[in-house]
Amino acid sequence: MSEHKKKIWIQAFRQAALFILVSVIAALAVNQFRPGGISIIGDWSAEARFSDADGDLMIVSFKEARELFINQQVIFIDARSEKQYLEGHIQGAVSLPWQRVDDYFIEVADRLDTGKPIITYCDGETCDLSHELAIFLKEMGFQNPRVLVNGWSLWLQAGLPISTGSDTDER
Amino acid sequence: MSGQKKQLLSFLFFCARFFLGGVFVYASYGKILHPDAFSEAVFNYQILPDHLVNLTAIILPWLELMAGLCLIIGWWIPGAVVIVNTLMIIFFSALLFNLARGLDVQCGCFSTDASEEAATRLTLLRDSFFLVVAFFLVYRVFFFKKARFSAD
Repeated sequence: MSEHKKKIWIQAFRQAALFILVSVIAALAVNQFRPGGISIIGDWSAEARFSDADGDLMIVSFKEARELFINQQVIFIDARSEKQYLEGHIQGAVSLPWQRVDDYFIEVADRLDTGKPIITYCDGETCDLSHELAIFLKEMGFQNPRVLVNGWSLWLQAGLPISTGSDTDER
Repeated sequence: MSGQKKQLLSFLFFCARFFLGGVFVYASYGKILHPDAFSEAVFNYQILPDHLVNLTAIILPWLELMAGLCLIIGWWIPGAVVIVNTLMIIFFSALLFNLARGLDVQCGCFSTDASEEAATRLTLLRDSFFLVVAFFLVYRVFFFKKARFSAD
């Protein structure tokens, strides 16, 4: 390697180190003083991620969710997009896509108000839509809505009843 | 190399710098604005240990912003090229890793919206293109015969 090129590499890595240093300082300083800054070390445990504002755990076990379904003692709410809902959902589930909850909520609110327990679900271990939806429903006055984590995948794996298309066909 | 070729290469270099710089600045914007949402995107990748998730979500967008701005303005280009390439390789590997193990996560590349569709092969293809542009910058800055970036 020529002397000139070696110099450029050294210069590049010096600059890169300075980039990192300046970014770390700027990022931490802004995060410290801005509104909406986050803690440097977050709590990502399941208890913290799936709790409501009072710190109560909102998760329902798959076994319990299945029992409630078999005894028809539950309303499932699908928090995924309408497109995903139409492609397939837990039989009898109501569609309430989290990203359009303001548009859909009034429409489905009456159907949720049956006194039966509410279980929200989406897809994937890390999907947070169902959790956000459950918190929203609790704020709206529904009693103890719970989350079936990774609900859609678990339901499919267990071979439990599903439906496709709009739920007006099921009613 | 003929003068015309050199000119073309210089023009391509300018375009690549501006393009990738713009991509990085644009990508950093939403993440800096919504650190809580971006930390969730980082967590969802399930690659980092929990205690590094927030720190990464706080610092990474600023690194993107600085490197992107420097590429556009033309300051500290060698350093910016190293940062951009390192980040692109990390992003690409993380995406590839999660697609390969079938984890259904949002990319979190440009949007921190948790309801966006999951990353797909198309996302990977887009990142491959960015990676090619980033590699071109490396070639031009470090391996071009008469690199015009003086170390002085």
